[in-house]
Amino acid sequence: MAVTDQVAGEGGGKPLMSIGMRRMINHAAIFLTLIALWEFGSRIGWLDPLFYPRPTAILESFWRIYVTQANVWHHLYVSLGLVFIGFAAGSILGVGLGALVGFNPVVRRFLQPYVIVLEATPRIAVAPLLIAALGFGAPPKIAIIMLVCFFAPFINTLSGVVNVNEEKLELFRSMGASKMQTLRKLVLPEAVPVIMAGERLALTAALSGVLVAEFILRDQGIGALILTYTRNLNMASAFACIFTLTIIGFLIFKGMEVLDHRIAFWNHSDATDRMSEKRARAWGNLTGGRNV
Amino acid sequence: MLMETSEIAPAETAGIAPGAPIVHGTNVGKTFAGGSVVALEGATFDIAKGEFVSLVGPSGCGKSTLLRLISGLIDLSSGQMSVHGDPVKGPRTDVGMMFQKATLLEWRTAIENVLLPTELNGTITAKDKRHAAELLELVGLKDFMFSYPSQLSGGMQQRVALARLLQTGADVLLLDEPFGALDEFTREHLNVELMRIVAEFGATTIFVTHNITEAIFLADRVGVMTPRPGRLAAMVPVNFPRPRELSLQTTPEFNVLVEQVRNTLGSH
Ligand SMILES: Nc1ncnc2c1ncn2[C@@H]1O[C@H](COP(=O)(O)OP(=O)(O)OP(=O)(O)O)[C@@H](O)[C@H]1O
Ligand SMILES: [Mg+2]
Repeated sequence: MAVTDQVAGEGGGKPLMSIGMRRMINHAAIFLTLIALWEFGSRIGWLDPLFYPRPTAILESFWRIYVTQANVWHHLYVSLGLVFIGFAAGSILGVGLGALVGFNPVVRRFLQPYVIVLEATPRIAVAPLLIAALGFGAPPKIAIIMLVCFFAPFINTLSGVVNVNEEKLELFRSMGASKMQTLRKLVLPEAVPVIMAGERLALTAALSGVLVAEFILRDQGIGALILTYTRNLNMASAFACIFTLTIIGFLIFKGMEVLDHRIAFWNHSDATDRMSEKRARAWGNLTGGRNV
Repeated sequence: MLMETSEIAPAETAGIAPGAPIVHGTNVGKTFAGGSVVALEGATFDIAKGEFVSLVGPSGCGKSTLLRLISGLIDLSSGQMSVHGDPVKGPRTDVGMMFQKATLLEWRTAIENVLLPTELNGTITAKDKRHAAELLELVGLKDFMFSYPSQLSGGMQQRVALARLLQTGADVLLLDEPFGALDEFTREHLNVELMRIVAEFGATTIFVTHNITEAIFLADRVGVMTPRPGRLAAMVPVNFPRPRELSLQTTPEFNVLVEQVRNTLGSH
């Protein structure tokens, strides 16, 4: 926040601290007050400590499940592994089929009603059926994650491919571009930002998907762990698991944002500026033959 | 010629092109929607090598349709048309087109956009790169070779599009209101540069515009088009010497031509 840094300086002399800094301190103060209220309320019995464990108890649980007992790692590993596999498979399938359907008007017209019906159905409702069909273990879980990951990339890729700028298509035609060239150099790159938006939704959905699968199957994974802890009324540990997921969700969000800045850089002015400088430097060695 | 009616007579009598005809059309017509929309009817014209022809007329009179027919983007409904003596059957490398929107690829730098036509035709050599860089310099964008479209103003984007058009190597340039979306100052400036550049390349140019002054200022001949159905009503020769200055537009002779074009437009 370059601008806000300046404002604090008004009133003469050097600013004691920037507005950004002051804001952060305010946030921290409010947060700590809330936590203190929670702790206090839980201790004096305003909040039922059975269901709303004290923050200090949650901290203790964090320590236990990560360090002393260290049992959460295995479950995290299992869950995140499934998220990764299911997301990769589901979103690749989504992008691939989306592109295929997008390029093919006949297939598109034929599939349209099915897509609408499937889109209106909450995908997660199908989860028990998948488990019944695929049994226990990883396969039904991966299938569920794929199911919840598939649609956003599919729909977004489809619309990205269908809504290519008409004028650019005409330009490519006037330059004698082949179908394949138009696809590779125009249609797909132009669809990248909207595909990325779909991937973002898909990855978030994958996290929910694995939890639902684990809630139903109750075997292992972070979802099964939360279930076990709540059934044993160990709410502090359940909260520690939930906050772990908060952090993972946040990291996923940030990670996708970074990825989007890299891949669809032209949609972000700061990333575009950086890329432009990079291209200028790369041009320095003006060598032959290579594609620009 | 075997023209039967008087509809296209003015175009016929408006002077034979000075050089060898590069673009030739006989009774060119185009209908859409199964024949119910007549976009263009009975256009007959000859355009000489290196000639600059402006097409002017109200919205819907078939200017873009005529350009798209010449470029081979759409097929004729009637008549004949040839470029360099070959009948037009589809898009071809000796004809290049530029649109009102710059239609640059946002994920490519200016120079990568200019190199696009070369890339579509094969691999890019160091020579191609140098050529593209020279073209960007020619259109005044030497310092913006590595800028992305989003970092460029509308006028600069159109300059990149012009450089890209020149990079195709086409010697027939079709420009469909290329600067129509720009402010008047930028447009006048770019018009002057366009004249200089196409003269330097010896390119045959067809330039579509809504603006009568601009049409006359740029052209060797002005094709006046009228709507419902779209027709090429007249070809008005413009004989001012080149290079032309902007001050030409305020001379009485210039205004006589403006009146003449306006009357042709109005009488239909
Ligand atoms: N693909 C199409 N399908 C149906 N009608 C069309 C099509 N293209 C053009 N037309 C019609 O043909 C006529 C001429 O259109 P054209 O775009 O050539 O006009 P124009 O002179 O370029 O107009 P403008 O100045 O607005 O660009 C218009 O009535 C238009 O509606
Ligand atoms: Mg038009």
